[in-house]
Amino acid sequence: MSSAGLTPPEAARWAARAGLPLPDDRHCVVAATADHIHSVVGVLRELNFGDTPPAGAFRAEQEKHDAAV
Amino acid sequence: MQPYELSLAAAAQEIRERRLSPVELVDSVLDRIERVEPHVAAYVAVFAEQARRTAREAEREAARGSCRGPLHGIPVGLKDLIDVVGVSTTASSRTRAGHRAASDSTVAASLRAAGAILIGKTHTHEFAYGLTTPQTNNAWDRGRVAGGSSGGSAVAVACGAATFALGTDTGGSIRVPAALNGVVGLKPTYGLVPRHGVTSLSWSLDHVGPITRTVDDAALVLTAIAGHDPRDPASVAVPGVDYRPRPDPDLTGVRVGVPRTYYFEHVDAEVATAVHRAIAQLEALGARLVEIGIPMTRYIQATQWGLMVPEATAYHESTLRTVPELYQADVRILLEAGELMGAGDYLRAQRARTLMRDEWAGTLKEVDVIAAPAVPMTAVPSGQETVTWPDGTVESVSDAYVRLSSPANITGVPALSVPVGQDTAGMPIGMQLLGRPFAERTLLLVGHAYERTQSARPLAPLP
Repeated sequence: MSSAGLTPPEAARWAARAGLPLPDDRHCVVAATADHIHSVVGVLRELNFGDTPPAGAFRAEQEKHDAAV
Repeated sequence: MQPYELSLAAAAQEIRERRLSPVELVDSVLDRIERVEPHVAAYVAVFAEQARRTAREAEREAARGSCRGPLHGIPVGLKDLIDVVGVSTTASSRTRAGHRAASDSTVAASLRAAGAILIGKTHTHEFAYGLTTPQTNNAWDRGRVAGGSSGGSAVAVACGAATFALGTDTGGSIRVPAALNGVVGLKPTYGLVPRHGVTSLSWSLDHVGPITRTVDDAALVLTAIAGHDPRDPASVAVPGVDYRPRPDPDLTGVRVGVPRTYYFEHVDAEVATAVHRAIAQLEALGARLVEIGIPMTRYIQATQWGLMVPEATAYHESTLRTVPELYQADVRILLEAGELMGAGDYLRAQRARTLMRDEWAGTLKEVDVIAAPAVPMTAVPSGQETVTWPDGTVESVSDAYVRLSSPANITGVPALSVPVGQDTAGMPIGMQLLGRPFAERTLLLVGHAYERTQSARPLAPLP
């Protein structure tokens, strides 16, 4: 996403590419909200992550579904 | 004193010593629900007949000398994200019409096995995606927000409409309503309490925990619901522990971290004063105060949003495409806008979380607990959208309520909200205690020690 704000048609196109067709009356509000979210999460680009891995974990062995409560 | 006024621990003692029957307790709480519900609307559904039947069974067990433990015969409200077999989990959403849970969630099964009696399902902000729970009114002022998303659970406990309750916490949803309604809320360490059968808002941030009248009560509930369940991939196998604090705790040598950054910035003066007074009380009990800095504060909100927004959107992918009009407007727009976030943003948030967890681990080597406000301001009037701080900064009410809670969701550390007084309008103020992962016993010890210095808190009165 560029630093310029999303236009309503861009928001509609991006949502459609994600498989979510938006009614016309949703384009403006979705664009504005997506822009706000982008402005919040964008500061993470300042961080130098180096080799830091993401926090999500994966185990190769499937969990055994025999929980005792 | 009426049975509905009893704390969990006090009710358990009365039941164990056969001075109170589970039937009397359940009847008393049901009567209280009838009186307060028209004013607060804490419940989605109340299961009066089922609760009375279960209470009679619990009474027969008690009469045979068979008491399952401290939760035997105790009425509980469950946030309506928590599955109970045969009952609808509405998530307070029209999208869940006709839902029926096929089996108990792990926590519901644990409570059932411990003898607790389900009295009803409590309101949540729709799918836990919000901080106010607009269906429910604050227990102390019906014109103010309940807080959320576990607003129904906190209000029910504050009013005597449940002896205890469970909530969920993704960015403060246990601690925020607990603080705003003057009750205790515990967000346990990530992975300590299994989430199997609990509707998710954000898998990597969600927690389940107790909302109670006292810290001692929270310890009793945590002991019953903590445990390993591999059906929750985050669940951790840790040894079973009795979390109940010693009756006469000693804080000598306990290091209490007092943040010099973040937690006291943009905080209402009355809230800050009450929390500092409570911290001074901890010092008077023998604790050593240590000034600390909070790491990476610039990236807290970004990391919280970077994790929560795409995960929530992913959970609702199907329903957002089939019945979007059934969501409330505030939830629908966040789910839709989440579709436009890229994988890069999500991965940066996951990597920032790794950095933040490591930095917090360093900070938590210097102290045993951190003491801070639970929320920056008390319950605002319903409908208020923003708060303006003295320096002119304008912040949305939701952002403000999440701000001091989300670090514990991102890092997974346990966090306990304890009432520490009221503001001049009579609205409750909460102090937050944060600790090392799986150090719930330390948090509960410190919270209980503080609570013992205060007179017993009354229930929220009827209007």
